[in-house]
Amino acid sequence: MLGGPQLDPIVIQALQVLTIVVFAPFVSGAISHLEARLQGRRGPRILQPYYDLAKLFRKETLLPTDAGWVFVLGPVVAFVCYLTVPLLIPVLTTYPLPLGYMGDILGGGFILALGGFSVALAAAETDAPYAQLGSSRAMTFGGLIEPSILFITFTVALVTTTDLPYFEAAAARASTADALRPAHLLAALAFFLVVLNDTGRIPVETHSGTLEFGMIDEGRTLEHSGPLLALLTWGSAMKQLVLYVILINVFSAPWGLAGSRELGNVLVAVPIFLGKALGVGAIFAVIDNSFSKLRLFKITEFMAGAFLLAVLAVLVLFVGGG
Amino acid sequence: MTHVGVPSTYAAVAEALAVLVLLSEFAMLRAPLSRSQVHLYSFQSLVVTGLAAFVAADRHVPGLYAIAGISLVLKVVVIPAIVLRLLRDARVELVPSHRLGVASMVLLALAAAVFGLFVVGSMKVHSTSLPTPALALATAAVLVSFLLVILRSDVVSQAVGFFSLENGVSVASLVVAAGLPLIVEVAFFFDLLVAVVVFGVLMRVHHARTQTLSTTVLDRLRG
Repeated sequence: MLGGPQLDPIVIQALQVLTIVVFAPFVSGAISHLEARLQGRRGPRILQPYYDLAKLFRKETLLPTDAGWVFVLGPVVAFVCYLTVPLLIPVLTTYPLPLGYMGDILGGGFILALGGFSVALAAAETDAPYAQLGSSRAMTFGGLIEPSILFITFTVALVTTTDLPYFEAAAARASTADALRPAHLLAALAFFLVVLNDTGRIPVETHSGTLEFGMIDEGRTLEHSGPLLALLTWGSAMKQLVLYVILINVFSAPWGLAGSRELGNVLVAVPIFLGKALGVGAIFAVIDNSFSKLRLFKITEFMAGAFLLAVLAVLVLFVGGG
Repeated sequence: MTHVGVPSTYAAVAEALAVLVLLSEFAMLRAPLSRSQVHLYSFQSLVVTGLAAFVAADRHVPGLYAIAGISLVLKVVVIPAIVLRLLRDARVELVPSHRLGVASMVLLALAAAVFGLFVVGSMKVHSTSLPTPALALATAAVLVSFLLVILRSDVVSQAVGFFSLENGVSVASLVVAAGLPLIVEVAFFFDLLVAVVVFGVLMRVHHARTQTLSTTVLDRLRG
């Protein structure tokens, strides 16, 4: 379509990772800018996360007295995990890339969970109560949302007979009936709630709050400083963008991806994807501003809602419907 | 590549609407405010109306347009307006009426819905108007509305539970008997109107006697 030289699939795959790494802080910054605007504040610059990262990388690392190597390694492992997932999911292309079959949706989920686990482990290494509180809460609520993720995976498996994200996206692209079938809609909605939970958004968690008692994911990073904190912040922005990729390019709007290996097509797919990610981010910002945070023990109600949608998706398939 | 047969666009949309009916039933079950329960009932009726109009347009059953029209006026506008009016007169905002925690209620209702889905889903009812999964979903909605009546102890939940049960039955009748004579369908609406009157009187009398909409006070001994 747009032409240009044919790219090596390996190069495209590297481009996928690069897109996530480079633009994750941008999407985060744009969302917090929009959030501030919705609240009538001027808000930070859109590029502020990059300045923050640059500042943090220049600072020294301070370790809590009892912290060992796990404390240092945790953020690095998490960062590597978030670098790995974009290899498995359709960020820019409709067709699977060489390493795309390395893991399915469950595999990607495991790697994301490993990232979260290593951060929690690093937080548990410290003696600080708030970090440990965050660590324990993150694991508890991570476990509670897991059944919904499993049922979403079952739905994908039943719809496509594989559990590869590329095929779910292809199924949703195939026809209107495919995109409108209730199983697909319910799974997409359930995954939307999962993303809301996993990116630490209202109603589960205040994204930019400073009140430690309400923190779940945010609490884990309180003890880290300098480059390690930079890796954690960058990592969480990447995790957010990765989840957006799955939400957009697998479940809800798998359109506008490059269908061929030509340079022009692949390059055009980047701004299209960013536009869609910003659109999703805008939805999240509006939700952040229109709902209140649930009390900690009410979060199970939210998770019951996600579980209900995911289970219904599987059930509708089993009774012979879409 | 696809294992489970992909439905036609018509079937997909119809089933998605039936799923929406079931989901709004779940939402009514957990909604804390009586007012939002009534709004959800109105929304559910709107979806049922839409489904009836959709079937009428696609399957050329002109009688269903009349049904959709009556249902739009009665169930989407008039009945919710009456119940909201009664609520305003009662001046009760929040009736704490959950007998169980919200998460447990949802799980219990999900179990009931699974039962309904599988029992009716395995019956293999063939229908020309709507895909059969819609019947299973309607049954699930009816079972969840039973739970709404059982698990919430206030008068509004019981009324809304009963009205929304009728919505579930309407969807089921769209599947099984879309070509039913108009007069029979209209008779159902009169039943519903009688129910509205009865529940209206019940709400007023109950509130006048006990100054609350909660039914938990009913088993208190009087001396």
